[in-house]
Amino acid sequence: MSAIPPLRALIVDDEELARHLIREYLQGHADIEIVGECENGLDAVRQIGALTPDLVFLDIQMPRLTGLEVLELTGRRAGVIFTTAYDEHAIKAFELHAVDYLLKPFSKARFDDALARARALHAPASPAPALDALIARKTAPLERILIRDREQVHVIAIDQVECIEAQGDYLAIHADGKCHLKPQRISEIEEQLDSTRFLRVHRSFIISLAHLQAIERPGPDRHAARLRSGKRVPISRSGYEKLRTLV
Amino acid sequence: MHPILADARKLLWYVLAWLLAGIGIAALLRLTEQAEWSGALWFALPICLVWSFVALSSYYVCRSLPYSQRRWPVALGLFGGASLLSALAWLGLGEAWDSMGRLVSHDKPFVAMTSPGWVMYFAAGFVLYLLSLLAHDVLVAFESVQAAARREAESRVLARDAELQMLRTQINPHFLFNSLNSISALTGFDPAAAREMTVDLAQFFRRTLALAERERITLGEEVVLCEHFLAIEKRRFGAKLKTELRIAANATDCLLPPMTLQPLLENAIKHGIRQVDGGGTITVDALVRDGWLHIAVVNPVAADEVPASGHGVGLKNIRERLAVLYGARARIAWQRSETQFAIEINLPADKEVIE
Repeated sequence: MSAIPPLRALIVDDEELARHLIREYLQGHADIEIVGECENGLDAVRQIGALTPDLVFLDIQMPRLTGLEVLELTGRRAGVIFTTAYDEHAIKAFELHAVDYLLKPFSKARFDDALARARALHAPASPAPALDALIARKTAPLERILIRDREQVHVIAIDQVECIEAQGDYLAIHADGKCHLKPQRISEIEEQLDSTRFLRVHRSFIISLAHLQAIERPGPDRHAARLRSGKRVPISRSGYEKLRTLV
Repeated sequence: MHPILADARKLLWYVLAWLLAGIGIAALLRLTEQAEWSGALWFALPICLVWSFVALSSYYVCRSLPYSQRRWPVALGLFGGASLLSALAWLGLGEAWDSMGRLVSHDKPFVAMTSPGWVMYFAAGFVLYLLSLLAHDVLVAFESVQAAARREAESRVLARDAELQMLRTQINPHFLFNSLNSISALTGFDPAAAREMTVDLAQFFRRTLALAERERITLGEEVVLCEHFLAIEKRRFGAKLKTELRIAANATDCLLPPMTLQPLLENAIKHGIRQVDGGGTITVDALVRDGWLHIAVVNPVAADEVPASGHGVGLKNIRERLAVLYGARARIAWQRSETQFAIEINLPADKEVIE
């Protein structure tokens, strides 16, 4: 009999008793080794990066970052078992994308069931496309933008963002006089933003209407937006039409 | 805006009806041999077209006298007077237009009416305006019935919203299911604690259901409810959650709406304690001074917290509830600094009257 290496599991939940319960349920499973526990989302991002566990028990409602935001930041798409007490939006999304989840409180039998399913999925290391879709259509509109900068995670409130610029495969997010880079497509973030507060004025620019100060005309048939910080952003012809109906 | 002017189709039918009246007047003139057909039509149709717009004014005459404040002599006087005035103007317009006829058709007026003819014409003006008044009156009545029905439907929706809101604060599913999960965990290694937590949970819900039915309860009763709530939360969050309740003896029998303090504590945990690494202490101060009940809740917050969604909705709800019950006599204010959140409620210090 060949020895199969144990599955390495990480438990993420901000309540000690909830983590305790998962530890207890795991006791009967000799093939699973608990490598760590986290009590908030930021910690989870760090530990997932450092430990690369095979399996993550992930609570949705957590301080700092939600479970879905942890996945977004770490790029992790497989080997996740969600746990939640009550979250209408998340549960609806799970059902829609056929993602397994545990509703607290859950029985040992239900837990073993989810574990068996996770083991079966683990065998062929296949990413779950369902999770991609799930994270992309997070509860819109976006209230904060998450940026991972090596070991640091920046959380930017959406009100602080003055404009977003597409730069190749990255977005340059200008907020509070700083510029943050995030690997994402501009059309993707455009869909997630509140369309009454943000406007795509150009192929590679989205501006915040709250930060818009004036529309300038540097030449015939050319327009530019001047933002409160003094920054100037080009406006395309169709962007100008959209802006005129709004302002 | 006038309901007929606001709707192109209604306006078309309305003007057509007036032109029909014009043909009627022309026929009357012809039958009484006051004029030839062509002259009579040339005379009556343009006047009716102009008058159709003048008669729209009767809508505002009707609106000036709402049904609820109507007495017959006043209504009769107003309607009769308005019709008489408009009939005079109608007579003037008729004479002016008739003399205009000289300019267009061979130096003679459209009609060559005798005095009885003009009297008949004047009477027609009076009757037409009166009819317009009555028709508009029906329209106004119809509108007000519709508006009343709409208002009633709206207030029903509002009442149901308030009820749902109340139910939701009573039974916060997130709190309930997480507590049950904690109990489930405790049964494995500390059955006595699991039992205590079950009792606290039951007491909390039982008291919530009993108190929510009453309009006002004493602060003492609210505090007992909060103590059960905090006992449960302390099991969930362990050493992270510490509390200090300082309730002055003279404040405990003051009256306040049920579930005033509990949501403040729930917020302090959800947006404060939970977000801070290592947790902290929530302090509650309640005291009576100069006939006012002051309640203050202070909790630590994470300096760099960016809320994931809808912040401050709960606080606005409390403010609206207090405004409905106390009007301007209740005050609620909150303030957030880098490291802490403070909220204060001031209510008149009413006490139960024991008979």
